[in-house]
Amino acid sequence: MDKSLHLDSVIKTHQITKEEQLLNKHKDKNKEVKEALEQKYESNIYSPFNSGSYAKNTAMNTKFDFDMVCPFKRNAFGSNGTLKQMYEDVFDFLYEKYKDDANVRKQKVSIGIEFFADEDGDIVKIDVVPGRELNQDQYKDDENLNLYVYYKYGNFDQGSERIKTNVQAQIKNIKDRATKEKDSIRKVIRLLKVWKNTKYNNPAKSFFLELITIKAFDNKDVSGNLWGKLETVLQYIRDEVTGESFTLKDPGNGSNDLIDTLTTTERQTLSDDMKNMLERIEDNDENIKTYFPENSKFLEEEESDNKYENKGNGFYSNPPKNERFG
Amino acid sequence: MIDKRLNTIQQIFSELNGISIETSFSSDLEFNIVGKIKVPVESTDDCLFFDVKIYPEYPLKRMDTESITFSNSDYLEYGHVMGDGSICRHTSHQTDLKKKIEIDINSLKRWIWKYYLNKDNDKHYEHLILQPKEFKGNHFSFLFTEVDHIFSNQQFGFFEFSKINNGLYHEKVIFNNIIQEFRDSSSKKVTECKWSSAIKQLSNKDLGIYVFLDNPPAKMGKFIISNWEDLEGLVNQNLHNFLYSVQKTNLKLNGKPIPFLIGYRVSDKEIHWQVAILEIGKFPIESYKEDKVWKGGFIDEDIVWGITKNCSYDYFFGRGRLTENITKSKILIIGIGAIGSMVAKTLTRCGCTSIDVVDYDIKEPENVCRSEYSFLSGICNKVDDLSNELFLISPFVEVGIINPILFHVDSKIAQGLNSTNTELQKKLLHYDIIIDCSTDNDLLYILSKLELNRLITLSITNNAKDLVCSVEPKSYNWVMNQYENVLENEMENLHNPTGCWSPTFKASYNDINTLVQFAIKHINIKLSDSNKNLRNFVLKTNESDVFSIKLDEF
Repeated sequence: MDKSLHLDSVIKTHQITKEEQLLNKHKDKNKEVKEALEQKYESNIYSPFNSGSYAKNTAMNTKFDFDMVCPFKRNAFGSNGTLKQMYEDVFDFLYEKYKDDANVRKQKVSIGIEFFADEDGDIVKIDVVPGRELNQDQYKDDENLNLYVYYKYGNFDQGSERIKTNVQAQIKNIKDRATKEKDSIRKVIRLLKVWKNTKYNNPAKSFFLELITIKAFDNKDVSGNLWGKLETVLQYIRDEVTGESFTLKDPGNGSNDLIDTLTTTERQTLSDDMKNMLERIEDNDENIKTYFPENSKFLEEEESDNKYENKGNGFYSNPPKNERFG
Repeated sequence: MIDKRLNTIQQIFSELNGISIETSFSSDLEFNIVGKIKVPVESTDDCLFFDVKIYPEYPLKRMDTESITFSNSDYLEYGHVMGDGSICRHTSHQTDLKKKIEIDINSLKRWIWKYYLNKDNDKHYEHLILQPKEFKGNHFSFLFTEVDHIFSNQQFGFFEFSKINNGLYHEKVIFNNIIQEFRDSSSKKVTECKWSSAIKQLSNKDLGIYVFLDNPPAKMGKFIISNWEDLEGLVNQNLHNFLYSVQKTNLKLNGKPIPFLIGYRVSDKEIHWQVAILEIGKFPIESYKEDKVWKGGFIDEDIVWGITKNCSYDYFFGRGRLTENITKSKILIIGIGAIGSMVAKTLTRCGCTSIDVVDYDIKEPENVCRSEYSFLSGICNKVDDLSNELFLISPFVEVGIINPILFHVDSKIAQGLNSTNTELQKKLLHYDIIIDCSTDNDLLYILSKLELNRLITLSITNNAKDLVCSVEPKSYNWVMNQYENVLENEMENLHNPTGCWSPTFKASYNDINTLVQFAIKHINIKLSDSNKNLRNFVLKTNESDVFSIKLDEF
């Protein structure tokens, strides 16, 4: 099989525009949540903005990352107010407002709102990330925010008050590279997100995968066809992510190291993921199909020219090839 | 020939450093070579004397015991001395007579240094040494577990036991029994052994009597008492009254054996039971008048000790079991054909105690050759047959038989392809681990969509060439891709014994179980360490040169 051809199809079938209805539902809900927050917090909040993959041009249609950053003023929760108070207050508000329509839960640095399935069976998920400017009125100048860590996040301990970052700068960094290098960086990022989505509870954040992909492109000669490029990035992650001196600088704050969002064990697991993936695809090209699956919903069916041909679908009395035994 | 061997041994002993021959070696009527040696105790003026007996097979072992003994019953009080005064030692294999004697003498010297001179006490508890005796030509055994009850000194009463299979114990018949529960002297239940419900429900029950003592009925701390009179100081008159009344009310059973358990504490956490076999009508007791009061006592008579075994979970599985992350899990096995029955039996032997099984299939004679079923149970439901097999293995396993509508109504109809009905999920969340060995692709599709605690699927390709094991959530696509695109699954060469409507794969018990055990070992290693990550994997066999199995992790 042609691995690059398959990967192209993976990207094509995962294009967000193919899920226009669901995309619009996300946009509508996003608007609604944004307006509710603005109404609630009035002059204590700056305009919430989307920081997810949709904003960064790296979205895919099997998992909509709609993250909404809510920049609060320094004194929004009193001059002695804590980041914890901010986080709890936003959670309480969202919980009260949406408890009958959605599951609202506390996540690592965000509050997740997962709306119940609508009449089409569609589920809209929005993550709200509360952040607070460093000093009163400083946000307009530097866009810096402190985030609250609700529970253990890699090496960041639970309740460890702050992660300081500039989310606008984070978005810009990824969006610029993904847009400029759309046949390389953007495609590889999307493929890694498709892979991450095959895993249950993978601890690597999308933002982490975006940054490490960019770092691989900056440090390696990533060239060739799509598989060749992807392979180089996978090798880079496999070889580098467990290194003691490996760092992944946050474009929103040079003193944040995104590698700290993973524990040592999680880094090893990620490296092993890459190692196994490369070896299995090397063993047999067909394995690429489960690491990087097409979205079957948008797969164009090939017409079979010979209905009597035995393509392993079962032939006369022979069971099909996918018959398992035991 | 014997003279030559005798001379050689005499010669070797005479040349050994640090020992001397006290009585020259000679041959006895059973062709053993016997003599006596003197061994000085290092850095003291003491000398120890040992009778030496060398059996004809020496330097080879006699069954699994040493074929040379050093004994002196004056040393019974020291550690690692058996009832006949012989020193307990285990030495290494050696076929050269001279070297073997040197090894044995060295081990004897080590015993002198460690247990005679330093009077070491081993940390682990040494159970009382006893030689089971026959009662009217038969042996008796009683198996028990720990109980949730603290017995007090002198507590006595009845106990209930179930008779299980009789067998041969060397040349004699042995009657095997399982202790079920303890009652007080008015037959009110005090506590019960912690067997599985299947063991508790065994019929063919009978009663025995027991007394519990704070201290072991032992001489020198390690030899069990041998005469009933030795028990006298350890019990009180209430027990004598009880024994007297038991015998009196059972006169019609004269001549029958009745077990008498004597329990004692061996550590803070553990008690042990020994059993003496009494004959109704001939209890070793007497009554006499002392200060105008009738009293009971034991008579001068040898005790017929039977066999007891503590079969508590930790003893029963003490030699090896799977990680607690598996053994303490509630497990459901879906599909109990070749792989499923092997998994069930392995988990049972390895310490799992909660295993539910579900299958709609019937066991036929031709299933026996490559699964864990037996021929003699005939044609019957696989679930019933397997649960019986599992009960035979472990006295701790609880096996639940789940209604086979799980395969059809619960899953394919109620849950369906797109339904959001989560009744099935609710039922399955009862389990910590679900092992799907059904090889039903439709069922796998449905199960893969559910949020379960842990779903493991196991299946093989034809000829057991490969084993495919998914352990990660939502692995339907991965499993299908292995079969459809990655692995060879040779479909032209199937076994069609009764026509094309019932084809099945070809592989022997050995072919399949080699892979199943390999897979379980891998899963056990991964699950025993929380830092390890259990991933989907495929076992690939290769027979081109030597047989090999390669594990590919995904």
